[in-house]
Parts: sequence; C-alpha cells; structure tokens
Amino acid sequence: MTTVAATAQAAHAHHDDRSFIQKYIFSTDHKIIGIQFLFLSLFFLMVGGLLAMQIRWQLAYPGKPMPLGNLLPETMAPGGVLLPEYYLQLVTMHGTFMVFFAIMLLLVGVYANFLIPLKIGAHDMAFPRINMASFWSAFASGIVMLMSLFVPEGSSRAGWTMYVPLSARHDYSGAEFGQEMWSISIILFGLSSILGSLNYITTVINNRAAGMTWFRMPLSVWALFITAILGLLAVPVLAGAAIMLLFEQILGTHFFDPAYGGQPILWQHLFWFFGHPEVYILILPAMGMVSELIANGSRKPIFGYHSMVFAIAGIAFLGWIVWGHHMFVSGMNPTLGSTFMVSTLLIAVPSAIKVFNWMGTMWRGNLRFHVPMLHGVAFVAMFTIGGLSGIFMAATPVDMFIHDTYFIVAHLHYVLFGGSLFAIFGGIVFWYPKMFGRMMNETWGKIHFWLTFIFYNGTFFPMHIIGMAGHMRRLYDPTIYDFLKPMQPMNEFISICAFLLYGSQIIFFVNFWWSMFKGKKASQNPWNDNGLEWTTPSPAPHGNWDTLPTVYRGPYEFSAPGASEDYLPQNRKLPTDRDPVLSPAAGH
Amino acid sequence: MSQAMAGAMQPPFPAERGIEVYNKKLGMWIFLASEVMFFAALIGSYVILRFGATGAWAKPGIVLSIQITAFNTFLLICSSVSMVKAYAAIQDGYQDKMKFWLLMTILGGACFVGIQVYEYIHLVEHGFLPSGVREGSHLAELVENGTLPAATMGLYGSTFFTMTGFHGFHVTCGVISMLYLYLFKALPGKYSPQDFGGIEVVGLYWHFVDLVWIILFTIVYLV
Amino acid sequence: METAHKRPNYILIWIYLAVLTAAELGLAFELPITANLKLALLLFLAVWKALLVGLYFMHLKFEKWNLRMLAIIPIPLALILLFAGMSEHIW
Repeated sequence: MTTVAATAQAAHAHHDDRSFIQKYIFSTDHKIIGIQFLFLSLFFLMVGGLLAMQIRWQLAYPGKPMPLGNLLPETMAPGGVLLPEYYLQLVTMHGTFMVFFAIMLLLVGVYANFLIPLKIGAHDMAFPRINMASFWSAFASGIVMLMSLFVPEGSSRAGWTMYVPLSARHDYSGAEFGQEMWSISIILFGLSSILGSLNYITTVINNRAAGMTWFRMPLSVWALFITAILGLLAVPVLAGAAIMLLFEQILGTHFFDPAYGGQPILWQHLFWFFGHPEVYILILPAMGMVSELIANGSRKPIFGYHSMVFAIAGIAFLGWIVWGHHMFVSGMNPTLGSTFMVSTLLIAVPSAIKVFNWMGTMWRGNLRFHVPMLHGVAFVAMFTIGGLSGIFMAATPVDMFIHDTYFIVAHLHYVLFGGSLFAIFGGIVFWYPKMFGRMMNETWGKIHFWLTFIFYNGTFFPMHIIGMAGHMRRLYDPTIYDFLKPMQPMNEFISICAFLLYGSQIIFFVNFWWSMFKGKKASQNPWNDNGLEWTTPSPAPHGNWDTLPTVYRGPYEFSAPGASEDYLPQNRKLPTDRDPVLSPAAGH
Repeated sequence: MSQAMAGAMQPPFPAERGIEVYNKKLGMWIFLASEVMFFAALIGSYVILRFGATGAWAKPGIVLSIQITAFNTFLLICSSVSMVKAYAAIQDGYQDKMKFWLLMTILGGACFVGIQVYEYIHLVEHGFLPSGVREGSHLAELVENGTLPAATMGLYGSTFFTMTGFHGFHVTCGVISMLYLYLFKALPGKYSPQDFGGIEVVGLYWHFVDLVWIILFTIVYLV
Repeated sequence: METAHKRPNYILIWIYLAVLTAAELGLAFELPITANLKLALLLFLAVWKALLVGLYFMHLKFEKWNLRMLAIIPIPLALILLFAGMSEHIW
C-alpha cells in the first residue's frame, strides 16, 4: 500500500511540474482543450453575429450608410453603403463562421472534449496529444478564414454552400485569393474534425469506467459518440470536395466545368453528402445536452431512455440518405429526387419521438426552472417549430416554391439558433461550475434568456411569412422587386429585433467573464445531478479523479423511490447494488 | 493498454471491456474508415465524371505507362509483404528480422514514390497536366491526329493527378512514419513481443495504402 | 485480441497477388471480349486482390466481428454516393 501511495504522490508531483505553457497553452488535458475551444468558438460566434448585423442593416435600409460603416474600406462599403459584392461576402462568411467555427466547435470541440472523459469515468481522452493537435488545427483554420475577409479582393462570396461555378471561377465571382483561403481553411478544419472524431470514438468504446455499460451512458455521451461517427465519415468527403475546388482554382482542373465535360452538380452531390450529416452533427449533441438539462430540471428520469438512444441512431442512420432534399431544384434526376423526399419525411419520426420523450420527462415532474432548464425547454419548443417547417421542405412540390427563400432561412435558424444555440447557452451555464469553479449569475442568466427568446422569435418567425411570399435568400436589395415592396416593413421589424438580439448577448458575455472571477464559488455538485462529472471537485482537477469511479446505475435516477435525496449519483453504491462483473454477458 | 495515468490508484474493478482491441489499433482502424470516405470522394468523382462523360475516354496505355506502373504496383505489394513479415518477426521476438523487413518496406515505399515522381515529370514533359493537355506538346499532337479524344482530356488530367497525387502523398506520409519508427523505436530495440503496437498500427496504414493503390491501378491505368 | 489462429502463409498470399496482377495486365491487352466484360473482370480481380490484402495482411479474417463491422461501414456509404452521382447520367 505504501508503494502505491508513494507512486501516487510522485505522480501528482510529476503532474504539478508542468509549466504554464504546458498547463494552459499547449495542454493535452481534455478539459483545458475544451475551454480553449470555448473561447475560440465564442469569439467566432460574435464575429458571425457581427456579420449578420450588417446583413440585417442592408436588408432593412438598402442603400443607406451603415452606422460605423465609414470604418470599412472602400472595397467593402464606400461612404458606409454596403456594396453588393461585400453583401454576398457577408452572407457567405456568416454561414461559414456560424456553421463551422461557432456551432460545430461549441457542440463538439467544447462538449465532446470536456464532457466525455468526465461522464464515462476516464482520466482523459484516448489520445491526448492528438486532441491538442485537433485544437490547434482548428485555431489555424479559423485564422485563415478570418484573414480571408481582409485580402484585397475580399473573401469568398458564393454562399457557405460554395456552389460552382461561382466558387470555382474568379472571373465570375471577383474573389481569387479569398476563395482559395476558404478552401484551405476548410481542409485544415476537416483535419481537426477527423482527429477529434477518432479520439471521441476510441475513448467512448474503450475507456469507460467499471460498470459504465453502453446503456448506462448519459444521452449527451451517446449523442456525442454518434455525432463523432457522422463527422468521421462525412467530413472527409467535404475535404475531398474542397481539395477539388482548390485545384479547380489553382491547378486549372475541370471537375466542375461543363465546357470540358465536368459536372457542376457533382459539387452539389459531394457537398450535400457531407452537408446533410453535418446538420445532424449540429443538432444531435444539443439534443443530448438538452436531455441532461431537462432531466435535471424535472427531477425525473428521461422518459424512454432506450428509445432516445435508438432515435439518435435512427436520425444519424437516415441522415446519410436524405441529402438530395437540398437539391430538389438543381435539375437532378427526378426519380432520385423522389426517393429523397420519402427518406426525408421518414426522418421526422425519430426526431418527433425525442420531442415527445422530453415532454414525457417533464410531465408531472418536480419542475425547477433554473437557467439551464429554461434553455432546455426553449430548445424543445423552438426545435419543434423548426422541424415542422422542415416537413414543408421535405415535400418536393412545395420545396419548388420555397427553396432559396426566407422560409428556408427561418427553418435553419429555428433549428440552429432556437435549437442548437439555446442548448449551448444552457450547457454553458450548466457546466460552467465544473469548468471554472464558479456559478454564473442566475438573475442575469434569466434576463439574458428572456430577452434572447423574445428577440430571437421576433427576428426569425416573420421570416417564415416573407419567405412564403417569395422573398429570396442572399438578396442584396429587396426593394428592386415590386412584389417584395410590401414586405419591407417586416424586413425592418426583423432587423430591429436582430439588433436587439445581438445587443442582448452582451449580458451573456459580461456574465460569462465577470463570473469567472467574481462569481459565487461552486460546490462539487451545485445542480444535484447524477452524472460522474459531479463526483469530482469544481473545477475538475487534472486527471479528473485519483481513483476512477465505479458505476452502479444509469444516469437519470432522479426522485428514485426510497432514496434519501431526489437524485442518486451513478457511482454511489447502495447495499442492494451488485459489483460490476466482467462476464461474457455483462450488459453490453 | 491501460488508460490509467502513471501512478494513479486503480479502482477495485477492471474497466469496461470495450472492443478488446487496444486504443492505438482501434484508433488506426477508425482513421482508416475516414480515409476510405476521403478516397471515395476522389475516386467516386472520377467514376461519376467518366461514366457521365459524353465523349470517349483515352484508351489505356497511350498517355500513361502501364509497364512502369505495373512494376510499381508489384513493388508496393512486395513492400506490403515485407511489412507483414516485419510484424510476424517481432511477434515471434526476432528483433533483427523485424528491423530488416521494416527497412525493406521503407525502401520499397520510397522507391514507389520515386518512380511516381519520375512518371509525373515524364508526363508533364510530354504535355499532360491537371488541366489537360498542354498546347504544342507531344500529347497535343496525339489529340490533333485523333489518337486521343479532345473532349475528355481535361477530365482525364484532373482526375489522374488528383487521385494519384493524394495517394502518393499518403504513401510519403507512411514512409516518413515508418522511418521515424525505424530510427527511434526499432533500431534502439524498443519493441518486444509484448509491445509492438507501433509496428502493427503503421502496418495497418501501409496495407491500406496498398489496397487503395490496387483499386487505383486497375481503374485508372487499365480500364 | 485476435482469435487464436494459424498464421497465414504470407508468401503464398504474395504469389496470389502477383498472379492476379499478371492476369489484370493480360486483360489490358486487346482481347476479343466486349469492353463491359473486360471492365467487369478487371474490377473482379481488383476486388479479389483488395480482399486478400484486407483479410490476411490486415488480419481482418481473424478479428472480432465488431472490428470487421467498423472496417466495412464506410463501403455502403461510398457506394450510395457513387450510385447517386451516376444516376444523373442513366436517364
């Protein structure tokens, strides 16, 4: 026993030998890497929002000089009036930053890294140095993408979907180097994503603590695991496509050039084959986190845990065969189109199962509307709206009319903002104590939530209406069309709500940074939750535990009959619990 | 391989069984799954473009040298054999045999890359580029006299250089990795029959690269 | 852990691979068969070689079913992408 204790002591002393750079800059600790991703992605969330503010200015007041617009160079906004080329850069880069550098990094880079080892009972990821490489390549990728806005001819302007030939031919778009930087950035991002995925998958398969069988894993871990598989298999296709696009620009290849026998629709197939699993990557981890938030806030087990797991798997599985619904008006083979319609309608089913199960979880629960719970409930409601608008698009004949209108923009923002981002805000507040050892301020958290909720709906709900009326996407000046002129007051209303929405985020950011230094110090388990991460101090120490925990039950034993409290952590052994046994039939 | 930190206390029960393949090997298989998708995008695009091309495709052997590439294919297959023999050698505990076969694999891989580079230089000299056929070159004459179809040479060049270029890049990365293992792990005798994961894992990568080439050689050079 | 197995004869596999490669080369010459048959045969030979490498050199034949599943999963996805792209040119 003394030799074990002595080596443990020596190990601790060894760990504390790390320099500042090793501990916080080039760290291999999954928690630090998760926090690094958090700072990086929150920065890009602000950048993406700033781009959106400019878009909204132009749509509400086309041709009018923008406040602070005189700060922009002549190539973007002479006299503060946005140029059409710059407007297209704005919509392209807003989409790119938000999808890749904000939401993907927030959901996967932050939460897969931070939560997985803590929630399965591991000291760290399977490959800590690869984890570090994944962060720094994402960082490099982000810098390249940001710089592309500042090259002389400006950034890419073909929409985040980069359809050819606008993206491939700089004589069409006017962007040469900026466009090439987009491709290079995405290739670097792909590398980061693939390295991350392989870490998460290996860790979840092989590094679970004793007793943490597959069906005792929290839903957030299931969601992140399945998301990692989606990313592993979809992102390489994007990388391949981005390479082909880059070669089209710098080597003069002809993959997409019809004059040489190339096929523009090939780009769309490659991009959306990645793009559709990508949108499930953008929602599944959020769904997983929401299960944690709602179970905790309802003080009840998740309703239908197994069906929740199968629904996540079902969404991921079906997600591979629906990509053509982004291409209904592309001129693709119509028979192929109708198969995509059927598969797309089907995918509503597992999503609906999840919504009903969250509602079932809350039903007759001992509801506590703390800030994370507010965000979780908002997720369910807003995601449902977003999902319902998706049904309209799934029906090909309807999509003919609403494709590339603001109806689509409404849908995607309902699922990405109303869905993913609300879950992210809830998750940040919920796991903040475990990250930083302090609580975020509850009152300001609630104020931020309500202001965000109100202005978000004010911004995006009317987009359904103007979209149905035919308002197109990526449109520089709606007032040139007579049929859109009656919409203009609504455009103005949307923009004002958007400005107030962005302004409300200041509350969140101040709360976030202020609480880090002045927030109430957090106890080990401030939310009275069951997950393994709450069995280690706040903030969690390097290595997470000295001795790894042993698991005796699932993660949602809230209000268990006979328990002394309304929660029962996974690692607490009751007299009636059996020890984990590694038999061939051991619960796999 | 245990996931515990050095010196940290162990819980009273062994961890969950997992897939019973150690982390490095599982990680490599997972990485190879992503590589399959990457090559599927590039190779799939080639098949889609060629299948959908309205004109004829160049006949095999006119632009590309089947003889040299056949030798190169054989070379890569041989290096795959030497790799698996290195793996078998260390499994049985023969350090010297393992080092010998690993070195053979590195040399085979390096020769493969060398021959590919030679082929590329030769092709570019004759006028074959990623953008198609260079004006005034030898291949341009073949297009003029109808030996090569003008309509699809652009696609031919684009797909050929992208697919074989990325494959060659992967081979190069493999050679560099093996060289690193050879110099810093194999030669100093850090492998043993109880611990030779690095050999097995780099071997998996190497065989995968060989497997991709088997497909590429057939559908690019012979069809 | 791999299931206990007799080590395959790697040299024999090497000979098979060499023979199959030679057969492919033979097919590349002008033979009195249709282009489609030639294509089918070449693909068949290539897949056979790939399987030999995968099953014996990469030891998949001797690994557990779950590792084999992992290795196989990308293939149907790649085929879905391929056939969707090709279907644009069928009719």
